[in-house]
Amino acid sequence: MDRKTIFDKTADLRRSDYFSSPGVPLISPGDVLSPQFLRDDLFLPSLGELDVVRHYSNLAKLNFSVDTNFYPLGSCTMKYNPKINESMSSLEGFTSIHPYQREDMTQGALELLYDLEQKLCEITGMKRFTLQPSSGAQGELAGMLMIRKFHELMGNKKNKVIIPDSAHGTNPATASMCGYDTLVIDSNSQGLIDIEKLRSMVDDKVAAIMLTNPNTLGLFEENILEISNIIHNKGGLLYYDGANLNPLLGIVKPASMGFDVVHLNFHKTFSTPHGCGGPGAGVVGVGDILKDFLPVPLVNKKNDKFYLDYEIKNSIGKVRTFYGNFNVLVKAYTYILRLGRDGLLRVAQNSVLNSRYLKEKLKKYYELAYIKDCMHEVVFTCEKQKERGASALDISKRLIDFNIHPPTMYFPLIVKEALMIEPTETESKETLDNFIQIMIEINKEIDVSLEKLKNSPLTTILKRVDEVNVARNPKVRWIKDKKSI
Amino acid sequence: MPYILNTQKDIKDILKCLGLSSIDGLFKRIPEQLKLKNSVNLLKGLSEFETKNVLMGLADKNISIDSCNSFLGAGCYDHYIPAALSYILSIPQFLTAYTPYQAECSQGILQAIYEYQTYICLLTGMDVSNASLFDGASALSEAVLMALRINKKNKILISQSVHPEYKETLKTYLSGLGFIIKEVGFNNQGIVDNQALFECLDDDVSCFAFQSPNFFGLIENVNELVHEVKGKCVIPIMATNPLSLSILKEPGALGVDIVCGDGQTLGGNLNYGGPSFGFIATGKKYIRQIPGRIVGATVDKEGKDAYCLTLQTREQHIRREKATSNICSNQSLNAIGAAVYLSLLGKEGLKDAALYSFSNAQYLYKRLKEVRGINVPFKPTIFNEFIWEVEDALIIIEKLYKRNIIPGYYLEDKFPKFKNCILSCCTEKKNKKDIDDFINAIAEVLHG
Repeated sequence: MDRKTIFDKTADLRRSDYFSSPGVPLISPGDVLSPQFLRDDLFLPSLGELDVVRHYSNLAKLNFSVDTNFYPLGSCTMKYNPKINESMSSLEGFTSIHPYQREDMTQGALELLYDLEQKLCEITGMKRFTLQPSSGAQGELAGMLMIRKFHELMGNKKNKVIIPDSAHGTNPATASMCGYDTLVIDSNSQGLIDIEKLRSMVDDKVAAIMLTNPNTLGLFEENILEISNIIHNKGGLLYYDGANLNPLLGIVKPASMGFDVVHLNFHKTFSTPHGCGGPGAGVVGVGDILKDFLPVPLVNKKNDKFYLDYEIKNSIGKVRTFYGNFNVLVKAYTYILRLGRDGLLRVAQNSVLNSRYLKEKLKKYYELAYIKDCMHEVVFTCEKQKERGASALDISKRLIDFNIHPPTMYFPLIVKEALMIEPTETESKETLDNFIQIMIEINKEIDVSLEKLKNSPLTTILKRVDEVNVARNPKVRWIKDKKSI
Repeated sequence: MPYILNTQKDIKDILKCLGLSSIDGLFKRIPEQLKLKNSVNLLKGLSEFETKNVLMGLADKNISIDSCNSFLGAGCYDHYIPAALSYILSIPQFLTAYTPYQAECSQGILQAIYEYQTYICLLTGMDVSNASLFDGASALSEAVLMALRINKKNKILISQSVHPEYKETLKTYLSGLGFIIKEVGFNNQGIVDNQALFECLDDDVSCFAFQSPNFFGLIENVNELVHEVKGKCVIPIMATNPLSLSILKEPGALGVDIVCGDGQTLGGNLNYGGPSFGFIATGKKYIRQIPGRIVGATVDKEGKDAYCLTLQTREQHIRREKATSNICSNQSLNAIGAAVYLSLLGKEGLKDAALYSFSNAQYLYKRLKEVRGINVPFKPTIFNEFIWEVEDALIIIEKLYKRNIIPGYYLEDKFPKFKNCILSCCTEKKNKKDIDDFINAIAEVLHG
């Protein structure tokens, strides 16, 4: 396998010709700009188009993806990404419009944003949405800053945010970025928030609780209304991390659970592709009390014309340039239209059905972290396997040999040797049965050929990668003739 | 049902295996009072054909910039994108893969990001780049947070001539943290007022953030600014257009500590403003303070070259409330797109894109200056855009629109000082005829 970098492949005299000279007098920058502004030289490779296409096509072959592999990565909702989303978002009427074009030239885009917002309000029960945040984490930042500003304006002196020990790392990191101290609430033996502990923790310094429901153990927080009362009674607000909304579509609206702010991950629930880690979209919905705090602008309608409204009384301002990851929003809108009310419900039903099936079939072989009925994902603990010699990491790496992307491992942090499996609704029973067989086989291998597991993956171009030493002496860019900075 | 493979029989079989009589049994842990009776109140799903008609109808209501003679820039630029770029980005193993946490089955992604990081380092002249941030505004905000972590001071200076939406985003990002943000004005040349900057530099100042070329298109005296602020132990942060760095001096050679910006100019569609991607680069001494993901070169256990995510102890999934940022997903596909763009164009192609943009802008500058009634207030120390002034600008803009010309971005809303001023931009997609048409139209509009 050729593992040269693109920089090693340069052929100096080769050059591209994607555009021609514009016909104006070509001016050497040195004739207008002082020499101190100009760079001496720039090394970039020179390649032909085929060189480049082949380079990236060969790199692509080294990756697993949803289109090519079962990808049961817990909490990431790696569902199928419908191709109609891609072709619609590539229409020139969407890709070739400028954010500062006049509103009468972009009525179609504004209408799409307006209608998408209406649909999201119906799906979640929230009153308004900002479509601006680029990811879940940026949505969290926007949502928590709205909560912060709300408390400030109300004169509430609050400095703490409560976050479960099973939460995504983005939650505490966001709370810190908003200037809050994080209080961790433990899960009880059922994998749910310990209500009595929560009651004793909540005082009038608590600004909010950030929750994922179902939580990262795949369990529905059954006491959510009581949690909501405890927090609201002390003047705090409820933040919903929508990472796990998938199994609740058409079943429960986050607003009914008492949430004041909700972010949704379009790259999870609404089928937009993950693209190696983005772009996504982390839209944020709010109830009545926070409507006036949303980022600017919102899309509103007046006399049948759509417009960008910057007059939002207590707006936290902007969280990024322009109006969000518009191209991603087009994909999610396409998906919602295509599914409609029945399709959304089927998503929830089949996502739970599939994960429950895996749980039922595998629980004899792998110990469940919690016995309770799971929703869209199931968490096993491989402690018993570890005692027999194979860690969650070994099992994960061995799955690669069977062309299956490993589940999320060692998360949530409260489960030892965790494997968190989310099959999603788009996988078939055959795929699940195949996965079950392989997991059973790997479990057997621990006793008959442990070395195989320890040395896995065996079929990839590389053996297990050393992730430890590189952090001590990081090499993070190519340099001619050497590999370190 | 779209995208669901389970048949009624599969569903029945699984339910049987679970000991359930109906699919509702899956949700029995959810209190009844929370449950919807009959899904949400949306229309039934549409067929793919119907969906396509709706979306095409909406797309048709937009007027593509390609059907106008547009000179809009102001942070989002209409460059030519080679066909091979969108082809490569649609390869399933890039488009539908997740973050490369499992190195052994993600080597292609990891190498592509490593090469992206290298490209950013080459352009900026810095040692370290991360795997991308959301956009230019979030990149600038993260750069400021990084500086605050480095020297633990509490005041931020930002040039008034930075993109207004970057400034607004920065204020939002910092609004919970209690730092002081102070704007430094510009002089009658449209660039940072050195005297004003000097007066603001006190012991509490952590960093000075500026943009070059700035929002008005003007190239700042980076050398002087850096010298001045570093003399006071203040961290210089420069936002820039990466395409401009194919001809302009690399900030690394000018002593800038943190370089950031928006990467849309490297092969990104306009997309009504998103997604693009943000980049951030720094010197190796600050590598542990940079936010977001980083790919490093390593070896596998047989000693073969390999790549993996590295320095993850800075990140939220490990460090939680003490992380350098809350960022998780970034804009990987767009960042990889930038690397593909730079690879396709190559050294000479990129210089052509920059040189043609520059020459077009210089030509437009010269022609506009010749039109009676138009004032071009600043020198052409620019890369691809500049400001000009005309009486009753809004009326003129309206008249040009009627002739299918978009003259540029109207500045007064964000900069009241620039009443009647327009920011016009040229990329390599413009040509002499486009510019001549614009000049003729404006001359006619002004003088009949």
